[in-house]
Amino acid sequence: MAWKRDDQPTSSQPEPTPVTPPRPAAAPNPAPVSSEPPRRTERATIGPSIFIKGDLSGEEDLVIEGRVEGKVDLKQNNVTIGKNGRVKADLFGRVVTIEGEVDGNVFAREQAILRQSGAIRGNITAPRVVLEDGSRFKGSIDMEPPRETGTSSPRPAESHRENVRPVESLREPARAAEPVRSETAGVKASA
Amino acid sequence: MAWFSSARSAAVRKEPPRVPTAVEPVVRRSLALAALFDEIRGRKVTVLDLGSAVGSNVEFLSHYGCKLYIEDLYAALASRVSTGEEGDIAGPEFFAEFLPVPEDTRFDVVLAWDLFNYLRRKELAYFGEQLRRFTEPGAMTFALMSYHKQIPAQPFRFKIQDEEHLIYDRRTAAERPSPRFVPSEVTGLLKGFRVDRSFLLQHGIQEYLLVRE
Repeated sequence: MAWKRDDQPTSSQPEPTPVTPPRPAAAPNPAPVSSEPPRRTERATIGPSIFIKGDLSGEEDLVIEGRVEGKVDLKQNNVTIGKNGRVKADLFGRVVTIEGEVDGNVFAREQAILRQSGAIRGNITAPRVVLEDGSRFKGSIDMEPPRETGTSSPRPAESHRENVRPVESLREPARAAEPVRSETAGVKASA
Repeated sequence: MAWFSSARSAAVRKEPPRVPTAVEPVVRRSLALAALFDEIRGRKVTVLDLGSAVGSNVEFLSHYGCKLYIEDLYAALASRVSTGEEGDIAGPEFFAEFLPVPEDTRFDVVLAWDLFNYLRRKELAYFGEQLRRFTEPGAMTFALMSYHKQIPAQPFRFKIQDEEHLIYDRRTAAERPSPRFVPSEVTGLLKGFRVDRSFLLQHGIQEYLLVRE
């Protein structure tokens, strides 16, 4: 079973990163007005043995543990490249989390997160970018300034206490053996 | 109490002198960095970071809404130049290929950190040509030069603590000779740049804010 769809993630699968932005615990208005349609909470997984060449689009969160070449377009949803994931494509998502290797550009509407095990060779465009200790990155980061929260000038004065190890040079991502094409209802692959 | 005192003093004598460990980060005030942030506040700038990618620096710079390029110069040099061969100088071709950016890219700020200490004089001149190619008049370069005879064998990893403080994170205890560039030499090698501000710090580091002419 190459493709898995799970409405309720299990512990054996990669944990998605924080998916939605923090929301107030108790909204005074029972019917909050939102300009965006409610997101589906399903999550699709491309397994480690899968190779997809083409474009991926859909309306649910996606975890890639296999190989993808082309384009991943899930602007309204979260995209996670798992530790086994090898992606040679431009990625579009709401929160894009990289634990594997990406050779391409990353466009995140909310946040791009490069985990310790992750590597990106390409450019990142996102309002917030997190590079974790030990991650490998080569390229550019285009960051929009944060929305005004009352302070007039940006003056970040807090200490950054994290320890970040040097970024190693990027290696060519390993290639999987057998190419397979696949498609699900939520996430479509088109060659 | 005599036995106690003598025993204690003997114990103290046996203790080896404390040598600072190589990995202990040190926080230093940075006057040039403060001047740099004063210059770019309120502007969306394009920054070239020549050091290794440091998450906290990215997070810090995100408050400025800049476009940040990270190109680890030392890693690129180390992977290209074979070690132990004297005279194996990275030539103009290396530096021309080092920055894989579109030709129309222009950097407003270059964070060179202490990397110029790890370039030979010719290499610094070659690299200066590339910096000139990708900058316009007014662009600023932040650099740290050491006046010590010896410098760490690898560049420090610098973390921006705030606008006026840098964390010097030393990666290795090994050392190598320092080129000890003097200001006239820096501007002589980096043609097209002038020293806008320079601060000699107490710990033997001279900070430079170079401006493209």
